Amino acid sequence: MTHKLPQTLIGVGTLVLAGLMAVGATQISSDAGYSGVGPNFVPWVVAIALALCGGFLTWEALSGGYRQMDEEGPGDARGYWPGFTWVSAGMLLNALLITYIGFILSCTLCFVLAVRGYKASQGAPDWSPMAFVKDALVGLAIAAPVYWMFTKLLAINLPGLTATGWI
Amino acid sequence: MDIWNQLIQGFITAGTPVNLLWALAGCTIGTAIGVLPGIGPATAVAMLLPITLQVEPTGSMIFFAGIYYGAMYGGSTTSILLNTPGEAGSMVTAMEGNKMAKNGRAGAALATAAIGSFVAGTIGTVVVTIAAPVVAKYAVLLGPPEYFMLMMLAFVTVSAVLGKSMVRGLTSLFIGLAIGLIGLDQISGQARYTLGVPELMDGIEVVLIAVGLFAVSEALYVMLYEGRQVETQNKLSKVHMTREEWKRSWPAWLRATAIGLPFGTIPAGGSEIPTFLSYATEKKLSKHKEEFGTIGAIEGVAGPEAANNAAITATLIPLLTLGIPTSNTAAILLGAFQNYGIQPGPQLLDKNAALVWALIASLYIGNVMLLVLNLPMVGLWVKLLKVPKAQLYAGILIFATVGVYGMRQSAFDLVLLYGIGLLGLVMRRYDFPAAPVVIGMILGPLAEAQMRNAMSIGEGKWSVFVERPGSLSLLVVVVAILVLPRLMKLLRGKMRAAG
Repeated sequence: MTHKLPQTLIGVGTLVLAGLMAVGATQISSDAGYSGVGPNFVPWVVAIALALCGGFLTWEALSGGYRQMDEEGPGDARGYWPGFTWVSAGMLLNALLITYIGFILSCTLCFVLAVRGYKASQGAPDWSPMAFVKDALVGLAIAAPVYWMFTKLLAINLPGLTATGWI
Repeated sequence: MDIWNQLIQGFITAGTPVNLLWALAGCTIGTAIGVLPGIGPATAVAMLLPITLQVEPTGSMIFFAGIYYGAMYGGSTTSILLNTPGEAGSMVTAMEGNKMAKNGRAGAALATAAIGSFVAGTIGTVVVTIAAPVVAKYAVLLGPPEYFMLMMLAFVTVSAVLGKSMVRGLTSLFIGLAIGLIGLDQISGQARYTLGVPELMDGIEVVLIAVGLFAVSEALYVMLYEGRQVETQNKLSKVHMTREEWKRSWPAWLRATAIGLPFGTIPAGGSEIPTFLSYATEKKLSKHKEEFGTIGAIEGVAGPEAANNAAITATLIPLLTLGIPTSNTAAILLGAFQNYGIQPGPQLLDKNAALVWALIASLYIGNVMLLVLNLPMVGLWVKLLKVPKAQLYAGILIFATVGVYGMRQSAFDLVLLYGIGLLGLVMRRYDFPAAPVVIGMILGPLAEAQMRNAMSIGEGKWSVFVERPGSLSLLVVVVAILVLPRLMKLLRGKMRAAG
């Protein structure tokens, strides 16, 4: 059972979440007014239910794995983690940079990094400088119109590199 | 004749050039995202929720509704032409549609899917037109206990019935309810789980959860586990049905509409059950049983597609008249209403009559638009299938950013988005359904308010839920749904052991 460890971890994680919900629930007032149940009632219900679910999931994981599940998850058995790193880097850099270099450039960077990962995951990585330029242009061609549509047409604030509203 | 007048008023509102443009934009975007893998109507509506900050409610609701059912039309194109199983709702279409396409009858399959969707969508809209005011009239009579039980019914069906495992469904549901608790308590105004962070006072944005769970997790999943899958595409033939094919499609469309409508209306969410039921019915009734699963039977495409569309259209009845969403997308539409400070429910048809009737009228208009978009122009959409996966998913990340950032202008939300994407990735890998999270998060606070109001009516006694016949019967249904399937399984096991 290769899935035993992650499945157990999910069960335990649910239990931890239940614990956190319970700790939070102790800090909510129980002032019930006329209704007999106060603002802390549902938090307690959720905490207890999550604890039950977490306990059950852990038990399932330890006694032969989750029930009613296909032997293998959908897709490949083994994940392609280098590609995952590329996408993660793209998304997190995007979060980090968006207020400094603006929506268009930040999203283009995210796009270029993510495309690297996907191409590598398909077994056809392309590291030539031309590929970077091409992907950057495609990314720009998606991000820029989206930016203009949202800021100019719909008047929704998105960060720009300059105050001109065009980039 | 009151309905008639209001509907005409609705057509006048929906027929203004601006609103027609919104409908066309919605139908076009809907079809496109339906065709493109990796992004569904729920995600698309969620990503575009920021427009509720600027656009007036009628226009944006018409736009969102267009996306909602446009995606159903587009989805069938992909499931017929691509040899990869798509979403659950179109999986059945894929079974027969794919077989037909492999045998050079892709055009007929596409035609029966599009026309069937139109027939079912239009009949569905007529039913919405007639039924919504009636349901609303009776819904006024429902008190908080009945509402609470209806919401419980929605929770139970979406988490315990639809998925493969009840534990995993319920875990998802309670995670959603937990997310919904963050923010100010609706009744006492007390802050809960905000950790003293002012941003959390307003709660967590639906956009963030929906886009993270559906779009980002899908992008990560494809990268990790599906990079080496090679997709093959069937050849498109002329979109045309013979007289014989028409004759076989008609009854299937109508039967499927009759099957789909009630499933959309009752809070028993999802279009999976009606599509499967319709498929089984057609297979049983067909005079061409040998075609099923071999060369592809046209009834097997016509029925499920119509059932799907009928169910989707009918979800608008509980959404508009009771404020109860029975699908992912309906839940996000409810979020859109809430962004305007509008609470769908029995009063909606009185208070916001103009909006509701314009929305209903736009459904009639949208169905015609979609028929045109999907029949003569299907070749155009097929070209979308040629977008390479790498650029497609990387592009989805850009749209995810604009939706989430546009809502609150917070870079921190983008980090959260990534975190929720990771949660969604784990959930997908280990087969936890995502829909209960979204429905739990949106419906949870409403259900809590109804429960506490009900308790106030009952002066603090729980017996209020069993003393009223309406809420008692709903309670019985909820318990039956939870217990009966397990009891049956147990009994069958015992009988097998005995016999």
